[in-house]
Parts: sequence; C-alpha cells; structure tokens
Amino acid sequence: MLENYFRQYGLAAIFLLVAFLVPVGMLAGSWVFSRLGVRPAKPSPVKDAPYECGMEPIGGPWNRFNFRYYAYALLFVIFGVEVVFLYPWAVRFIQMELFALIEMAIFILVLAAAWAYAWRKGDLEWR
Amino acid sequence: MSSYDLYLISPYLAVAGTGLLVVLLDLVFRRKGLLAGVALAGLALGLLLTAVQARDSLGLGGGSGLPNLAIGPGLLAASLAVDRFALFFNVLVLAAAGIVILASVDYLERMRGNHGEFLALLLFSATGMMLLSAAAELITIYIALELTTLPLAALAALLMDRNSSEAGLKYLIVGAISSALMLYGMALLFGFAGTTSVEGIAAALLAPAQQPVPFGSYAVLAAVALLLAGFGFKIAAVPFQMWVPDVYQGAPAPVAAFLSVASKAAGFAVLLRVFYTGFGDFDWHWGALAAGLAAASMTVGNLVAMSQTNIRRLLGYSTIAHAGYILIGVAAVAGTSASQASPGSLTTAGPSSVLFYLAAYVAANLTAFVAVIAISSRIASDRISDYAGLVQRSPFLAAALALALAALIGIPPTSLFIAKLYVFSAAVHSGLAWLALVGVINSVVSAYYYIKVIRVMFLEPPAAQERIHISPTVWAALALVVAATLWMGIAPAAMLGVAEGAVRALSGVAR
Repeated sequence: MLENYFRQYGLAAIFLLVAFLVPVGMLAGSWVFSRLGVRPAKPSPVKDAPYECGMEPIGGPWNRFNFRYYAYALLFVIFGVEVVFLYPWAVRFIQMELFALIEMAIFILVLAAAWAYAWRKGDLEWR
Repeated sequence: MSSYDLYLISPYLAVAGTGLLVVLLDLVFRRKGLLAGVALAGLALGLLLTAVQARDSLGLGGGSGLPNLAIGPGLLAASLAVDRFALFFNVLVLAAAGIVILASVDYLERMRGNHGEFLALLLFSATGMMLLSAAAELITIYIALELTTLPLAALAALLMDRNSSEAGLKYLIVGAISSALMLYGMALLFGFAGTTSVEGIAAALLAPAQQPVPFGSYAVLAAVALLLAGFGFKIAAVPFQMWVPDVYQGAPAPVAAFLSVASKAAGFAVLLRVFYTGFGDFDWHWGALAAGLAAASMTVGNLVAMSQTNIRRLLGYSTIAHAGYILIGVAAVAGTSASQASPGSLTTAGPSSVLFYLAAYVAANLTAFVAVIAISSRIASDRISDYAGLVQRSPFLAAALALALAALIGIPPTSLFIAKLYVFSAAVHSGLAWLALVGVINSVVSAYYYIKVIRVMFLEPPAAQERIHISPTVWAALALVVAATLWMGIAPAAMLGVAEGAVRALSGVAR
C-alpha cells in the first residue's frame, strides 16, 4: 500500500520532469541548431508579431476593457455551461431513458430563466 | 428516483422553485409588493412539507416512525440524510427566512426596485442552508455550502453603494478562502478514508488500520483542523471572524439579519453532523480545539463589542461571542463521546444544547435585528447615539429591542437564559468546567454593552420628536420573534425535547 502510494508520487514526478524538459529541450535544440548553421537567424517584423495569423493587434495588451463586455461574458458562460453538460448527456442518452430527458429539460429551463432575466433587464442592449 | 425520493426532497424543491418563480414573476409584475407574498407562500409550502415529513418521522400519521427517512437507492442515496436533525434545521432556516422577508417590507424601498433579486437570492440561499443541514457526504456539503454563500455575497452587495459593495466583496473573498481550506481538508479525509460519505469516514476511522496509510493520523488531524477552519468562517468564530463587522455594517440590514441567524445555524448543523457522525467516536482531541475556539470567540467578541458605536457592528461582535457560547456545546460533544461508558442523557447533552441554543439565539437575535431593520428603514442611521430616547418615539419597538438585548445577555424570562444554562451544564458534565466558567464571566462582561444600548434608548433625551411608524407586517414579524423568545424562556421543555430528538437522529449518538 505504502509503496504503491509513493509510486504514484514518482509517476507525478516523472510527468513534471518531462513537462520541464520538453520546452527546455526545444529552446536548447534551437540554440544548438543556430550554432550549427541549420537555423539561419533572419529576424523580420512579421516574425516578431505576437500571432503569425489573424488580426493585427490594436493597442497595448494592458488596455482597459469596456465594462459592458462583462455582461456578455456572463451570458456566454450560461450557454457555455449548457453545452458542456449537454454533450456528455447526449452521448449517454440511450442508456438513461425518460428520467434524463426530464432532468435535462429542467436544467435548460433554469438556464432559459436566467437568459430571460438578462434579456428583460436590458443586459442584451448596448447602453 | 422514485416518487418517495421526490417527496423527501420536496421542501428543497419547493423553496428553490419559488426562487425561480420569483425571478420570472419579477420580469412581468409591475407591483413588486406581490413578490414578497409569493416568496412567503413558497416558504410556507416548504414548512408544510417539512411538517408532513416530521409527522412521518415521528410516526404520527400511522406507521412506527423513523428517525431517518431513508432515500431510496440511486444518486441521492448517500448524499442526503433527511432525518429529524435536518428537519429541525429546515424549520429554523425557513422560519428565519420568513421573518426576514416580513420585516424587510419597508426596507425594500431602499433597494431601488431590486425586490425580485433580493427575494430570489434569499430563497436560493435558504435552499442551500437546508441542504447543508441534510448533507451527509463531503461533495454534497461543498455544493450546498456554495449555494448558501454565493447568493449571500450578491445579497450583501445589493444596495450598490460603497459600503455594500465592500461587504459583498469581502464576503465573497473570505467565502472563497474558507471553501479552499475546507476542500483541502476534505481531500485529505478522502485520501485517508477512501470515501466521501460521512458515515463511511466514521467507519474508516474506527476500523483497525489494515494497511498503513501515509502520514496516517496526522493527515486526519490536518483534515479536522482544516474543516474546522472552513466551518469557522461560516459560524464566525475567532480567528475566522474578521469579515463579520464590515459585512454586517455594509450589507442591507435584512441580509445582515439573515446572515447572523440562518447562516450561522446552517454552519453549526454541518459542523455537528460532520464532527459528531464522522469523528464522534474517534479521539482526535478536536474537542480541545473547539473549546479553544469557543473561549477565544467569546472573549474577543465581547471585548471588542464594548467600544462599538454602530448598532450593527455591535450586533456583529455579539454574534461572534454567541458563536463562542455555542461552540462550548460542540466542545462538550467531544467530551461526552470520548467517555463512551456513560450512556443516557449525558451523551446527547452537548449537541442538543447546541440545537436548543441555536433555536433560542435565532429568536432573540432576529428580535434585535427586526427592530434594527424597522428603525434603520425609518431614520436611516445605525449609530447607537441616534437611538437616544427611542422609547418616546416608538415605545413598543424600544421595548422589543430591550427584550432582545436582555435575552442576548441571558436574563431569566428569555430563551437564551435556558440555552446558556443548558450549554454550561453540558460543559460541566463533560469535564469542561473551566470553559463554562469562561462562558459565565463573558456573559457578565457582555451585559455592559447590551445595557449601554438599553440605557441610551430609555434614559437619554430623544434626538428628534417624530414618531417611528412601521408597517403591520413588520409588527407581525416582531410579535412572532418576541413570542418565540419568551416561549422558549418560559416553557422550554417542548423545544428541549425536540432538540433532544433531533440529535438522536445523528448516528454518532445512536451507537
């Protein structure tokens, strides 16, 4: 029992080691390759951009957000959570019969009530 | 899930469903006054269903009666224990929520149309508290605790001014920290016992260790300390009390009232169930830990309360002191179950004194808070100096507040006199005479600041002459809690019997 217990910690330690070695190995490999001349150093503005694809970022990363986004974030969470629960429910639906159907209907109704509340209180309008 | 299971969880469904209904009705109703009626009807329905369950539990409606109405096999089987203990706290929480709603009718005008939010959040929080007293498994306890805490944090911030926001944020952050501590304790317990059920943990602790567990008893000791810290925040015991005065002062007065009674009662319910059922038969010296917390809470609460000039801060420190008195009963729990040789009334004296004290405290403290709500919704001040000459502006209100403060001291014809007597005698019977002595000294010390308020109300000249008018519903709430305070003080036998019966449902006692 006790050996087993510490073996679990050993496994965790191995994972930690791997997690540490992979990025360090990448950086070290990059450095070694540049030394060997396999990786030429040709910096350009495109390479220095935070993202290589997508929108050009506007403004600095420490910009303040408009507080109104907060309500949208909350509403997004409502539907995010709904999907998170719906998906496994749908996968196992066949085995769980009518009970699961009623259960999920109640769950969605509660979420719908939250959404109706936000709508009626004017959180969906950009004021 | 069978229909019997649905019947067993029906009080929780009724209250939570009413909360949802209030949210939806708030969207269509123009007259917000009706919402309070709907909320009260939901609480009454919950109370009715609880009464039906109590009848079944006592065997009054035919049948032999069971202390624990067992939930059928399935998802809920291990997580909820609908026993007399849970039913006792259901009644306590529902009654407290009802009184608070009745008393806040005038105060709601200051909420700027947030009636629906106030009532719905109160109902959700009450559901959490009811579930907390029935939760018999660690994960259920955690979920119920979050359901209790999160609506309360939103409620505390509902006035949306500076103080109220501060109160809400403090409560949220402190609640998160205490949840984290508690979860860590639960994880350690699960690691030791291999189960999250409180009964299973008790069995695992009692069983002779077949396999060596790493850090064995020390892990459990740490878990006990962490759980006690987590629950300590909810019951506002020293040294986990720092949030109390600010939240009581900044939160809307009805929310402070609800926090001070229902939240504390639910915290003690889960504390008793986990510690008595889970660790009851096991000698981990957690009784000494509880005794230390009790002495510290009483002393710190009473000493700091003396210098307060704000009535709500004063009542805040007073609730800390009372958490200390109640913890004396919890410490006596440990004392009695450690000496298992003595059966009979002794084994239930500690926990049943806790239950009786909670019922008496809910009545007395609600009396004080209903009066404070009524006054603060008229004169918009919580300074004690503004209570000067209250007896001339509203004699009945002043008399009720004086009665409540006298009860909080523990003066005879009131409920808390019997409660303190019961708690102290339980402590003496389990060999904690020193703790009872600390409690008695503290009661005497506390008289100073309670009587100071009474003196200001009755002897000082009034600051203004206009009389304080109160709605009939607030009078009704006040009459109910005053009657309960006096009833438990004059004829305590009935409530003592109920508390005794409720405690016997905890499996640690039956063994």
